[in-house]
Amino acid sequence: MTKTRISALLGASVLGMLLTANAVQAQQSGNLQFLIDNGPQSVAVAEAWVAAYTEQNPDVTIDIEVRPGGGEGDNIVKTRLATGAMADVFFYNSGSLFQAINPVQNLLPVTNEPWQAGIQESFKSVVSAGGEVYGTPFAPAMGGGIFYNKPIYEELGLQVPKSWDEFMANNEKIKAAGKVAVIQTYGETWTSQLFVLADFFNVLAAEPDFAERFTANQAKFATSPAALRGFEKLQEVYEGGYLNADFGAATYPDGLRMVATGEGAHYPMLTFGVGAIAETVPDNLQDVGFFAQPGDSADSNGLTTWMPDSIYIAKTTQNPELAKDFVGFIGSPEGCDIRNEAVGATGPYMIEGCELPEDVPPAVADMLPYFQEGGQNAPALEFLSPVKGPALEQITVEVGSGIRPAAEGAALYDEDVRKQAQQLGLEGW
Amino acid sequence: MKQRASLLGGVAAIVATFVVFVIPFLFIILMAFKDRQQSALRDFSWPTGFHLWDNVFEVVKTRNWMMITAFINSSIITVASVSLLVVFAAMVGFILARRKTRWNPLIEFLILAGLMVPPAVVPTIWVLQGLKLFGTLHGMILIEVAYNLPFSIILYRAFIATIPKDMDEAAIIDGARPLDVFFRIILPMLWPVTVTNIVVQSVGIFNDFTNPLYYLPGNANATVQLTLFNFQSQFSTAYNLLFTNILLITIPPLIVFLFFNRQIVAGMTAGAVKG
Repeated sequence: MTKTRISALLGASVLGMLLTANAVQAQQSGNLQFLIDNGPQSVAVAEAWVAAYTEQNPDVTIDIEVRPGGGEGDNIVKTRLATGAMADVFFYNSGSLFQAINPVQNLLPVTNEPWQAGIQESFKSVVSAGGEVYGTPFAPAMGGGIFYNKPIYEELGLQVPKSWDEFMANNEKIKAAGKVAVIQTYGETWTSQLFVLADFFNVLAAEPDFAERFTANQAKFATSPAALRGFEKLQEVYEGGYLNADFGAATYPDGLRMVATGEGAHYPMLTFGVGAIAETVPDNLQDVGFFAQPGDSADSNGLTTWMPDSIYIAKTTQNPELAKDFVGFIGSPEGCDIRNEAVGATGPYMIEGCELPEDVPPAVADMLPYFQEGGQNAPALEFLSPVKGPALEQITVEVGSGIRPAAEGAALYDEDVRKQAQQLGLEGW
Repeated sequence: MKQRASLLGGVAAIVATFVVFVIPFLFIILMAFKDRQQSALRDFSWPTGFHLWDNVFEVVKTRNWMMITAFINSSIITVASVSLLVVFAAMVGFILARRKTRWNPLIEFLILAGLMVPPAVVPTIWVLQGLKLFGTLHGMILIEVAYNLPFSIILYRAFIATIPKDMDEAAIIDGARPLDVFFRIILPMLWPVTVTNIVVQSVGIFNDFTNPLYYLPGNANATVQLTLFNFQSQFSTAYNLLFTNILLITIPPLIVFLFFNRQIVAGMTAGAVKG
């Protein structure tokens, strides 16, 4: 009696197992290493992806490993690639830093994988080398522009500026009201570059072929009036006396806190700062809005965009099929949904079929029109030209704190760029 | 008059110590009590609420209880490599001080080279991979021993030179074999400089950051200093958790110092005078 019952049970469960196995045929098994940087957003979203993926594939285990960002992170990635000790799947920058890790030799091409069909061409172009695509977007696209504090705008009855003159007029009113108009945080020098880099849409609007001519050593920041404007804008906000008193020592987290809590009105930054605001000062997230850096004419108002970082598969992986399946999962609309849930949306996705949730933070909502029909955007210079001088952040700190005039700073940057172009072995330098 | 001058000097020294050592430590403790919003201001202020236990719990359980693994790993690495360092460095120092051969200048040059030439990361990893030691704790221990050996040898050699040779000879006449001479006669007499070595090297190795970062990849291999990176990143830092973490990993060395305080001071001064 018991025996038959047991065998019947066994039979039923075996049948059940067969059925489920049939239902999810593409079950994967094995172990993967997944190396990411230690930003809290990266960790949160990676943990969510891994949890969702291993739930669908119970035989898979994925170990998340965390490395520091910045220069130390570059060293780790390069060291581990050079010694063949790289994790199976890893996160790294796209664009010029991607070219520096020798992708053809170190990475597994994913050009013809099914999920690549849904990824935008503009993204593929910054993760390609030698005719092959290697990357899958890790995050949504970013915009470079200006965060503003909405309560200050409401209190003073200001309008979002469409041209640089309107922006400066707003600054004047904010200053007259006894508030800090523009926040700058030169305690972390990279933040000083935004006025120059985020002005690139306006440069392209005036000189559509600037990037090619810049790469070919024909156009210069100092001699092109449109490109020089970025440096001049930096100088103008300093000379207007609009900056916070501690602009030389304040840091990036300070800047985000100040614009969110209304200690200052404008903070030029990349939109990925929304994530950090949501973490540090979540109560003020609704108070932060965003607009593209205005150009000289109100008619051509558009956003300078940055491509997201990317996920790559190391060529040394023991388990290429599983690695591809996992990366494909991340690069699918399902992956975007998991990301939305884990860390919220910080911008439009580069993957077809990915949708943003209804309740995005206002700063993200302000950014979306630039990507939709009728809106205008253009990639930042670093995605159109391999030439980016290493000393730009030092030069922009000098210009932005009144130590060096804009024209001189631009000329100095042209010199800085020359060294890098010669190292790359470009034509015409 | 003279007494007053020394009193003033004493007070000045205490004030200086307070400013240099106690205030930063107080800052760490205060930060560990704060919540994320208040800690982001990074000012020297009284915490608005009591968040220490929340912070400690958060820090310890982050990334699947990484902190516990890290403490175990760091303890193993520190204890093992300091033990090996003491024995090896004392042996080399003993031989160098006692036996004069024409190889001595070459050996001394190699020791100095070990101090001066910075080690290259990638070739070292290749060697470790060839020996199947890469990414293992014992590989890391050997690295720490190799990097710190020259300094320890120099400390020991100078000290051994002050121990009269008659000691060894008396022991040999009494029937001691060479290893007995070293382990039962010489090593106990080296205690002061051994304490110096243990303190200096264990603080250095426990606090080592870059070597584990490159030579010991993987979550299972985390060391305490690497756990700091769980809360500090390029664009965003949770200062309350970061400082709680610093507080937690400062406590073990602090306890060691409290317990061995007297011997450390004795060892330091002994080494200083005779070295």
